Amino acid sequence: MNTLIIELRKEKRTGVIPLLLLAGILGAAYAFVLFFVRKDTLLNLPLAPMDVLLTQVYGMIMILNMFGIVVAACMVYNMEFKGTAIKKMYMLPISVPKMYLCKFLILTVLLFIAIVLQNMALLKIGISDLPKGTFKMDTLLKFTAYSFITSMPALSFMVLVSSRFENMWMPLGIGVAGFLSGMALANSSVRLLLLHPFVVMLKPAVAMSAQPDNGIVTISMAETLLFSGMGLWMAKHLRYE
Amino acid sequence: MDYIITTEQLTKKYKNFISVNKVSMHIRKGSIYGFLGPNGAGKSTTMKMLLGLTSPTGGSFMVDGGHFPNDRISILKKVGSFIESPSFYTNLTGRENLDIIRRILGLPVNAVDDALELAGLTEFGNRLAKKYSLGMKQRLGLAGALLGRPPILILDEPTNGLDPSGIYEIRNLIKSLPSLYDCTVLISSHMLSEIELMADDIGILNHGRLLFEGSLDELRQSAVQEGFAADNKPGGKDTGLEDMFLSMIDKDNKAIKAPQSDKVSQRDKVSQSDKVSLYRKQRARL
Repeated sequence: MNTLIIELRKEKRTGVIPLLLLAGILGAAYAFVLFFVRKDTLLNLPLAPMDVLLTQVYGMIMILNMFGIVVAACMVYNMEFKGTAIKKMYMLPISVPKMYLCKFLILTVLLFIAIVLQNMALLKIGISDLPKGTFKMDTLLKFTAYSFITSMPALSFMVLVSSRFENMWMPLGIGVAGFLSGMALANSSVRLLLLHPFVVMLKPAVAMSAQPDNGIVTISMAETLLFSGMGLWMAKHLRYE
Repeated sequence: MDYIITTEQLTKKYKNFISVNKVSMHIRKGSIYGFLGPNGAGKSTTMKMLLGLTSPTGGSFMVDGGHFPNDRISILKKVGSFIESPSFYTNLTGRENLDIIRRILGLPVNAVDDALELAGLTEFGNRLAKKYSLGMKQRLGLAGALLGRPPILILDEPTNGLDPSGIYEIRNLIKSLPSLYDCTVLISSHMLSEIELMADDIGILNHGRLLFEGSLDELRQSAVQEGFAADNKPGGKDTGLEDMFLSMIDKDNKAIKAPQSDKVSQRDKVSQSDKVSLYRKQRARL
């Protein structure tokens, strides 16, 4: 708990917390604006109203979240490398893997809040704008969980990458490359491409149904565990030098 | 003898370069140990190993009875350190930076004010660390090391970047620490004049090897035996001691260079020993 409080105090003036909250607010605002402007067009698509609500809006929301994850992960470690603060941490009686875990937890909670904000907007739209009797709460909750779980591999991968590079442009470049390659490969049916964490995150956005794919959920969880495990191992075994 | 830090044949090798070569040093509890050597002698690397920042490739060391990595947390709880350059969070103020360290060490809130006062930073505590001058950053690094008055202090060239009055102030502070709260200090410098004003014991390192270890008096005796007369004028520098130190480095450099001399081109022969001679001439002119 003490490490978590310390990590939160370190975030002061870095912009990490407002950044992910902003991604949540912008995502929610986008959903409102989209339904305000294109409600009739969207509801005339040959899809179930809940599928329209969840899959047609999610593309832009997911891009905002991905951008938030990449930049926030870069920032959360850049403050350690800037001014070589991490060197001081290595010389203090603090567990470096715990520090890594707390940074990961902070970003996870912030991403979760952002996704909740976005889905609260979808809830409001679903209740007021979808044809009567077509809004299903359980579908929305399932999709919220699905979008959160599929976003976690990208988050754990970015935290791992940013913890290994002193120069912030390196993880940022890897994040942008991941985003672009993910966009290019997201529609592919080759299952092997699901090893790419950004492809996994994009999957709900390219699907035409709001029903979660259990295979993708399993892969997402496995990748999240793998990347966070790798990050913790490296934090423990690879020294500052 | 009650030693708080000991190293046994401590070695650090980077591919083809040996940074620290079988160093066995012994630091007495409650003493100020001056770690002396030219730039690149291996002082910082030795200190980094003592703090677990880098792992040794050979030998071992013990800090207050503990070993790395098993006793890392318990060792670091007792050690205040400052290595190479000050490390801090640029997005936080000086006070906030120290508060992070205070929380890690589990110290009371007033420890931050105490450290700020010791380092002479009280009036700048609420300024962002990135806006500090070089000297103020150096003081912040020192304040971080002194926070909670740890029983062991490892300071790597702590007076770098300070103005003369700052150097005098910090030197007096370090000198007073053992009597103030029974603290042991390991301090490095490449200037004997700096170390001899503070240290009880001294270790001279060159090319990673420990050339001398003993008290300042033992070094003085060696200087007299080697024919470097001590010149202890009141308020003046001990030039015999400095000559002894320079000669020691000079001799060691020549001994290392001799087997390699065939391989070295004429252009590269402006060696460390030439630099030492030049330094001596410059000093003689002053």
